[in-house]
Formats: sequence, structure tokens, C-alpha cells
Amino acid sequence: MTSVPTAPPSKMTIGRQGNYAGAVSRLAAFAADVGISWGLFTAAVALLSVATQLFGGTTVSLTHHQILAIVAVAIWEFLYFSYSWAVSGKTVGMALLGLQVVTAEGGRMTARQAALRTLGLVLCFLTLGIGFLGILFQRNRRGLQDFVAGTSVVYSWDARAARLRFMSHTEFSKQRHAK
Amino acid sequence: MSPNPVTARMELMAQQVAERVVALVLDAIDIDALLDRIDVEKLIDRVDVEKVVERVDVERIIERVDVQKIIERVDVNAIIGELDIDALVEQTELGAIIAHSTTGILSEVLDVIRAQGVGLDDFCFRWANRLVGRKVTDWPKGPPLLVEQEAPS
Repeated sequence: MTSVPTAPPSKMTIGRQGNYAGAVSRLAAFAADVGISWGLFTAAVALLSVATQLFGGTTVSLTHHQILAIVAVAIWEFLYFSYSWAVSGKTVGMALLGLQVVTAEGGRMTARQAALRTLGLVLCFLTLGIGFLGILFQRNRRGLQDFVAGTSVVYSWDARAARLRFMSHTEFSKQRHAK
Repeated sequence: MSPNPVTARMELMAQQVAERVVALVLDAIDIDALLDRIDVEKLIDRVDVEKVVERVDVERIIERVDVQKIIERVDVNAIIGELDIDALVEQTELGAIIAHSTTGILSEVLDVIRAQGVGLDDFCFRWANRLVGRKVTDWPKGPPLLVEQEAPS
């Protein structure tokens, strides 16, 4: 892989840091988070299973304990999202997509807000996704979870550095072609 | 001036007459017309610039200049404030060279994904609000602490 197909257009990205993030980026970040958190959970259960088999001779399997599995997943997901937001305002998926959760005014969110936002996320799913519509139609692009926690989501990636990286790529490609 | 009072008086009178005459002559001359008749190009051609430059002691002039004083009078912050860093970086290879030392294929891929995300975000937001027939031009771009709010029009 030697070439990047498209550039981050400067008009589109530079100066967008701190702007309200839109639905697609947020959906992509959430999908990434679901994948990552499920992957981590599965890996943790597998490790636990191997460890108990090595030291106790028994295997741990959640397939026959559905309620326990649901509770464990719920706790894990709650911890994954609320801890990530409380620590840095972003989950791994959000960090990949260059997003950050801040207070409605733009300040750093608290641990309480992080926990409330996670519960708000559950509420959004309970409303069959209607709670998410605010991201598309509301003037501050806030979903139900944001209203519950008093937060909003903004772009946080350094577009200028991205632009420089793109320019360095094209500049050195040009030099290579020239040679 | 002459020590003899008579000649001194005459000299003074002659000087006053001369001054008066010169003033009258200068008033009578149409300087613009005179300048029009002068072939400036020809005059410049006759000047040996090299010779003039040779006679100028540049070192001495530089020594007399107080650079520190000049620097103190320059408002560097104002100059930096007026600089369009993005345009500067785009026109020079400097930014590219600096960035190349830290760039990696993963970060480039991430940049592309993020940029595409921003584009799709705008597209969806625009169309969603067009569907419900709303104009979103004067809506805030971000939270007040992060984005400078535009004055309502």
C-alpha cells in the first residue's frame, strides 16, 4: 500500500476542530466501539476460561448461563463507555474517528455525566432509535443521551496535521516520480 | 563680509538684490515645463551608478543603524497574526518535510476515514434538514467554549 486515494480537503476539515460532529462519524465510531468492546469481552472470557482450566480443571462458559452473560455484558459495556468518557471524553472508536464528548458548553465532562450518557445511550435503544434522531435534526446535533447528560460531541482531530501529512505524501510522491 | 562699512553695506545690498532676483526668476520659471523638456532617461544613462555605489561606505552606514531599536519597534505579534499559516505551509515544502518525519500509513488512512466522515456528516445533516424544510445556515457550529459564536444577522 503506497498511495492514499483521496486527500482530506482543507476547506472541509481545517477549522472544524470543536465543531459539532455529525451522524455518520458518530455512527462509525459507535460501530467500532461495539466491535472493540465485544472483542475485548470475548477475549477476556476466553482468557478466564483458559486460566480456570489450567489451574482448576474446569472451563468457564457463558453459553449455558444466558442471564449471567447478559448481566456481564451489560456491566462490561457500561464500564467500557462510561470509564472511557470519564477519563478522556472519548472511547477508542471515537478516538479513531477523531471525536470527543464535551459538556454542552464545550468543557470537560465529569464522571457523573459519563455514567448518565451511557444510561442515555440505553434509553435511545429503548426508544427504538428515535433518541438518536436529534443528531440529524437538532441544531446542536445532540441525541437523547446528550440531553440526559448535558453533553455534545465535537470533532477533535488535528486536521492541520492531517493536511501536512497529506502534503508530505504528495510532495514526496512528486519527488519520487521526478527521479 | 568686508571690514569696510561701505563695501559691507554694498555687499549686503547686492545679496538682498540677488535673493530678490532669484526669487522672482524662480517664480517666473515653469518647473513642470522645464522637467518635461529634460530627458530623464538620458540623464540616468549618464550616471555611473557603480561609481556612486563605490563611494558609499555601506559598512559605516550599517554600523550606524541601531538594529535593536528597529526590532523593538516592530510588532512581531501583529505580523504573525496577519500571516496565513495554511497558505504559507501550502506554498513551501517546510511543512511537508516536517510532517514526513512523523507520518505513517496508519495515520494517513485515519485522516482519509475522518475526512470522509466529515463530508458524509455534512451531506446527511444538509439533506435531513432539507427534507424537513429548514435552513441551517445560522445555526451554531460548536459549543460556545470551543467555537467563536457568530453574531446574529
